Amino acid sequence: MDSAASPNLDVATPERVALSLPVAGIGYRCLAYLIDVFLLFLFWVITYFTFTLLVSDVLGFLEGLSGFTRTLMVVGVFATQWLYWTACEVLMGGQTPGKRLIGIRVVRVDGSPVGVLESAVRNLVRVVDFLPGLYATGCLSMLLTRQHRRLGDILAGTLLVREERIDLDKYTTPAAEAPAVSATTSRVRLAPEDVELILAFLTRAPQLEPAARTRLGTKLVDRYGGLGETERATVLASPQATESFLRTRVQAER
Amino acid sequence: MATPLPAFVARRRPDWDSLKDLLARQRSGTLRLEELRTLDVLYRRAAADLAHAQTFYAGTDVHRFLNQLCGQAYGAIYQPPRERLASTLAFFRRDFPRTLRANGAFVAASAGLFVLGILLGALVVLLEPRGAELLVPENLRDFIARKEMWTDGILSVAPPNAVASGIATNNLTVIIVTFASGILLGLGTVFTLINNGVHLGSVGALCVHEGMGPKLFDFIAAHGPVELSIIVIAGGAGLMVGQALIDPGELPRGQALVLRGREAVKLVLGCAPFLALIAVVEGFVSPGDFFSSWMKAVLGLALGALFWTYLLRAGRNEPGGTS
Repeated sequence: MDSAASPNLDVATPERVALSLPVAGIGYRCLAYLIDVFLLFLFWVITYFTFTLLVSDVLGFLEGLSGFTRTLMVVGVFATQWLYWTACEVLMGGQTPGKRLIGIRVVRVDGSPVGVLESAVRNLVRVVDFLPGLYATGCLSMLLTRQHRRLGDILAGTLLVREERIDLDKYTTPAAEAPAVSATTSRVRLAPEDVELILAFLTRAPQLEPAARTRLGTKLVDRYGGLGETERATVLASPQATESFLRTRVQAER
Repeated sequence: MATPLPAFVARRRPDWDSLKDLLARQRSGTLRLEELRTLDVLYRRAAADLAHAQTFYAGTDVHRFLNQLCGQAYGAIYQPPRERLASTLAFFRRDFPRTLRANGAFVAASAGLFVLGILLGALVVLLEPRGAELLVPENLRDFIARKEMWTDGILSVAPPNAVASGIATNNLTVIIVTFASGILLGLGTVFTLINNGVHLGSVGALCVHEGMGPKLFDFIAAHGPVELSIIVIAGGAGLMVGQALIDPGELPRGQALVLRGREAVKLVLGCAPFLALIAVVEGFVSPGDFFSSWMKAVLGLALGALFWTYLLRAGRNEPGGTS
């Protein structure tokens, strides 16, 4: 319901349905980047200790091979600095491990998955986005563009979309106990927005302050209940009864 | 008439759940043919549900859920073709040289800028030797003052393959920066090209001035032609990007940029294996006295000629459309 605040990527599919995917902002991207960098750092720490502790000192053949190991190291630096991002994005459907953990994905501006060329472009331009340090250029570009894209994204024609974890169970959870008042007696039909509002309240109710929980529950009952004086009193007797009534009210909509 | 929201969810949810399962299996690559057909059917149903949700339940969580589900399924169904070995070979046999020929003007302009830089650097140092203090880094000046090649220094400390790999990453950085800085209206590329040219020109002129010309030639001859060509090609790619930004033609800037970016990155990716090869030459052949100067020169000229013959000839007579 925050669709007005965050920009969306609108896609017209060949099935003539308009998809509208939420675009990932600078915060999500930053978190994903930090996770990726941490993983690479971990990789280097482990490699370093494996080599220094196990290989070189114990067996002592690293001196003989030092040219070879240095080549390996340079290849490793190359891989972690350049290959990691592109290889992951191409093989993992637009996600690096960090992006997967945060739940964001690289797609082309038309919503289709990225290919090798796009991924290569956006990751080569990383150098420029990093200028003059700490992604200053990239962050500026993300703040100024409508869909939060850095220069690499603009050149490659890609952007990042968010994947939310949406819980559909809340629509179908049965009411906790039999309601004191039959909810089917009142006859105002609920619009989808009303259903959504009540469900949002029910999801959050357990975490609310007791006073706020009672106050909001009372408001909702008054608005959608359509009850008489005595029925209203029984329903409002406890928060559990209120919520149970509201849930049945929503369930009765089928 | 719209069904109430909870009833709609309860009725359609099994389909959505199985579509989600199929998508997860598709991602891990364990999907049989009949399941693929089911995926297609379920995707179409979900798309219909999305259209329904758009009309009757706009802005609800169900709507957002369906958006996301259809987005993932859309991504899975309309995937770009996988890159296979055959397509990589085709890229080097046809696509890369063709793209280069189609954008020859940019490569030529890039070469022009690079040569301009070399001439500038060389002129400054030849006319006013003290200019070298400005243009040539201090550690290089120390080497030249002692009449030593700095590359000999590297070689005596580190084994040759370490030199080769070090040189490879350094060249790689130059090439990536030259290309990527094209996004700064092409100015970044122009600057990098001229800057590298001036650097090369001034070092060369200083060496000649100090009587080390033959030694420098000895070092550069074997790998120079191909390596400088690759830098020039990367510069051409950067200029293509800059041109799309400044003069996008009839397309909107964003689209022109994406179109040009895809072409330009082909030039950079195509150069990668040649860069690796020439780094090996630079690490093993160029330093030291294992090969005489004229052998290095012949090798360098031969490699350069081969490289450019490939670029200008490959894929010219084969079918497959124009690039």
